[in-house]
Amino acid sequence: MIEAILLMLVMGTLLGFGLAVSGEVFYVKPDERFEKVLNLLPGYNCGACGYPGCQGMAEGLLSGEVTAVSQCKPSNAQQRTDISSYINENPGPDGKLLVVKP
Amino acid sequence: MELFSLFISAIFINNIILNRFLGMCPFMGVSRKTSSALGMGGAVTFVIFFSSIITFGLYTYILEPFNLQYMDLITFILIIASFVQLVEMIIKKFSPSLYKSLGIFLPLITTNCAVLFVALENIKQGFNFTETVVYALAVPIGFTLVLIIFSSIRERLDIADVPQALKGNPVAMIVAAIMALAFSGLAGLV
Repeated sequence: MIEAILLMLVMGTLLGFGLAVSGEVFYVKPDERFEKVLNLLPGYNCGACGYPGCQGMAEGLLSGEVTAVSQCKPSNAQQRTDISSYINENPGPDGKLLVVKP
Repeated sequence: MELFSLFISAIFINNIILNRFLGMCPFMGVSRKTSSALGMGGAVTFVIFFSSIITFGLYTYILEPFNLQYMDLITFILIIASFVQLVEMIIKKFSPSLYKSLGIFLPLITTNCAVLFVALENIKQGFNFTETVVYALAVPIGFTLVLIIFSSIRERLDIADVPQALKGNPVAMIVAAIMALAFSGLAGLV
């Protein structure tokens, strides 16, 4: 009984430590534009763009799948120009600039 | 010679998918494109190979001496889950496109019964270390082989004229059944 508890404790600690270290080693820098674009979108998660929610739409915009912000139906003209100009001016982690219409 | 026949029989005769019917979830899920099938095969090979070696050592040197054999399932799953996490980090770092095409099926390797099967089979069959290594290499090779064959057939099926009612998954199931029949023809090989 006590061996079993000790074994699980030791294994959990070792494996957890190993994963924590490898998490540092294989750290992938998240795209910092993502948070910004997500905040600029209306945030209704209505799904009218064809994605499950605003997060999907933001990913689509940043991966080049979506070429016009107007695919987001509830957004107003101000939001559309804001988002498109933000994406057109800020390059991604790979240094490439996307072209997105308002 | 015995190791060689173990190797061949694990790949072709007792094929993990077509003969044991394990690991069906990625077999149906990630076989749409040959490239992602190859990536899945690589990930599964990595996980099965290393987790088998570690679980073998754990069982022989810790669980058996301390009479903790009943702990095999929970400790094995712990090790497999950690390895899957590791693979996920590595793939995310070095191949984001593969990470995207594998999607949910990558973390699902944890619950892929093929991985646990190899870890448990090594113990049940009483394999020694060399046999464990050979078996842990042969099973995922068989898995990858079948996945690649199946995905290339499915790529052809996409452009073939399939009856409306059978389009997509139904015809894939029929193909899988025919493949299993064909592989059972190799039964007398070893």
